Amino acid sequence: MVYGPKSLSEGIMPRKVAASRGHSASFTRRVLICSALLTGTAAALNQAKADDVNWRQFEGTSIVWAYDIHPYADAVAAQLPEFEKLTGIKVTPELYPDDAYWNKLTIQLSTKSPSWDVVGTGIQPAWDLAPGQLLEPLDRYLSDPKLTAVGYDYKDFFPALRDALTWKVKEGQIEPGSGQVWAVPHGFENIQLFYRKDILDKYGLKVPTTPPEMSAACEKLKAADPAITPLGVRGVRFWSSIHTAAISIAKSYGVHDFIVKDGKLDTGLDSPESMAFHTDYVDMIKKCAAPSFANDNWYQVVDGINSGRTAMAIDSNMFGFWNDVAGKPASGKIAFAPPLHAPNKDFESNIWIWSLAINAASRKKGAAWLFIQWATSKQVELNGAVAGKLVNSPRASTWSDKAWLEYAAKPEFSNFVDTFKTVQDRAQLAFTARVGFAEAMNAWAVAMQKMVNGADVKATLADLASEIRSSM
Amino acid sequence: MDFQRSDAIVTLQSSTGQLASSKDEAVTVESRLDWWSIAALAPAITILLGFLLLFFYGVFQSLTDLKFGRPQVHFIGLDNYAALIKTGDFWNSVRATLVYAGSAVLAQAVFGLVLAKLFATEVILARVMRPVILLPLVLPPMSVALMWTTMMDPQNGIMNYLLSLAGIGRFAWISDPNTAMFSLVVIDVWTYTPFFALITFAGLQGINEEVREAARVNGAKAWATFWHIELPLIAPYILIAAVFRLIESLNQFDIIFGTTQGGPGNSTSVLSVRAYITAFQNLAFGRGAALMVVNWMIVLIGTVAMVKLWRFVRQRVS
Repeated sequence: MVYGPKSLSEGIMPRKVAASRGHSASFTRRVLICSALLTGTAAALNQAKADDVNWRQFEGTSIVWAYDIHPYADAVAAQLPEFEKLTGIKVTPELYPDDAYWNKLTIQLSTKSPSWDVVGTGIQPAWDLAPGQLLEPLDRYLSDPKLTAVGYDYKDFFPALRDALTWKVKEGQIEPGSGQVWAVPHGFENIQLFYRKDILDKYGLKVPTTPPEMSAACEKLKAADPAITPLGVRGVRFWSSIHTAAISIAKSYGVHDFIVKDGKLDTGLDSPESMAFHTDYVDMIKKCAAPSFANDNWYQVVDGINSGRTAMAIDSNMFGFWNDVAGKPASGKIAFAPPLHAPNKDFESNIWIWSLAINAASRKKGAAWLFIQWATSKQVELNGAVAGKLVNSPRASTWSDKAWLEYAAKPEFSNFVDTFKTVQDRAQLAFTARVGFAEAMNAWAVAMQKMVNGADVKATLADLASEIRSSM
Repeated sequence: MDFQRSDAIVTLQSSTGQLASSKDEAVTVESRLDWWSIAALAPAITILLGFLLLFFYGVFQSLTDLKFGRPQVHFIGLDNYAALIKTGDFWNSVRATLVYAGSAVLAQAVFGLVLAKLFATEVILARVMRPVILLPLVLPPMSVALMWTTMMDPQNGIMNYLLSLAGIGRFAWISDPNTAMFSLVVIDVWTYTPFFALITFAGLQGINEEVREAARVNGAKAWATFWHIELPLIAPYILIAAVFRLIESLNQFDIIFGTTQGGPGNSTSVLSVRAYITAFQNLAFGRGAALMVVNWMIVLIGTVAMVKLWRFVRQRVS
């Protein structure tokens, strides 16, 4: 199937030859991926043999692994037969759409249901789950030579990611920096602006860098082609719509979700900086986002950029990458830039760490740990990366691996690697570590919808701050 | 007077004697039957107690500050309720719940009646459509919600495409706070009108044909026959359907959470959705339970009122 405008050579080339060339390219790509997977599998098996851990110590066990419907899950699921062959443990993946997954995760864990053994989580939801003793601390597994292979190399994970998933629970609150390990990173994301080069080139638009510039670009784009949504951003009334574009841009305006005031924690969402940010951001959303903003989650953002119905998007960087993969309709058409920032300020980018954790109520924790260990091993991470799925590996070894770097530097991925490096230098967790993350950020998402629908910015932020204070 | 008194005493004594002897017999019989009765009723009583226990546990939770991350749970009396009624968002949720349920049930009653009248005719198309029209009822509400979310997409949804064919401009549907509630009512009406139609149709079928015949003989026109004879006779059926639908609409969760999640803003944040979000997303279980109890009270009041109305109408009809 031919997508988008044909190149000159494609136009001249007889259809059969073009088709066979496309087929052969696709075949070569498959062979390369399969070879990488086979080599990886062989290496993993050899490594397993060399390890002093008995991978078959929980043979015959069945575990359930719950996760979001996500290419990161696909990357691991594709390699599951190897795990089952290695360990004799049967893994049943239970994958749910984003919103449904987070709600179900809370219910499953809070009711102490043992039906899920391994769960996918991020740092922020884990802040709310760990103090209720709903997640199993992983230190004793990591330090047990009978359970953790020497070659696992936990220190290979980027230090910032390891630190973010390590904290103490003191008097029901989070004390980050040291303490217990609550989850193991499995993939991470930084927030970027990615855009359709073909659309911006067609209408002669420069990549905007600030919300006012974006608003101006959107007006031009809308005037030129009303069928195109200029900017895709999440808008659902759930914390997930805050943790991408909103918090990254807000941080560059100097907004803090929480501040310490007179020795006490207080919200910073009604500060003058917050007012300035929300005024610009709300104006930008009104001019740029889809009319369905209030119902849009990352699925809609990705679909928009993939289909070309959306010109730009601010979200996790791998959404651009996945659609650049050869064979996809938008392959080679998506480029990357740092997220928008306040005028005359540097950009900021929030990070999200997809992690694997053990349900504290699981009755098969040993088998669950072996699965986590395998799924976050060097080889599985690398295999997932070169398959074009597990894009942002949390392991330093993946980022120094030639196979991954060569793959990610392919022309269809445009400036992915360079932008990743630029953004990653400044990317950091933009939220304050505390229990009550979901409640405060859900309230922020609802307030954002109200402001986009015309509510007064100052009054809405005052209400929001008072709501957050009343729940602290 | 004396005779009357002695009579009364005799009667009373003999009655007491009769009562005493029959009581003795009854006690003997009951002591033999009691165990069987108790054994037979035990499962039902256990299940009922289980349900009530869960409910009262929910009520108890609403009187605590139960929240994730809090090391201890405290009994705080009515504090959760007091905090709720002070917020504008709570009253907005009460209003949204009543508007949603009230308008959905009313519209379903009207459309259900129209459909039932159509089914009662001998038109072939109406006969063919009878089973087809019931299809929305058998769809899982979450699937209905996802289907309508796609159809109501303001940019790419089929609803706006169909409107555009009629020359009508883009409608925001569930994406605008001014139209979101209306859109949800449309979905509810589409899903549950067949239920009303089915019950009302059964009512229409139950009317004796001789009554209609008598009206015709007396010169009543079709509209007058419907208004003065059929409608009063089927009113109890409509009201009983309304009782069931009102209970369900006041509790409606799936359709609303699956489409708007209570948004945009708080425009469709009915009590059931707000309770769920408070308890399971914000992890404030105590306050979530208080919202659920308030929702239950509204359902109870609405149901009692509707049942009283149904009894009154039934008495008048009979």
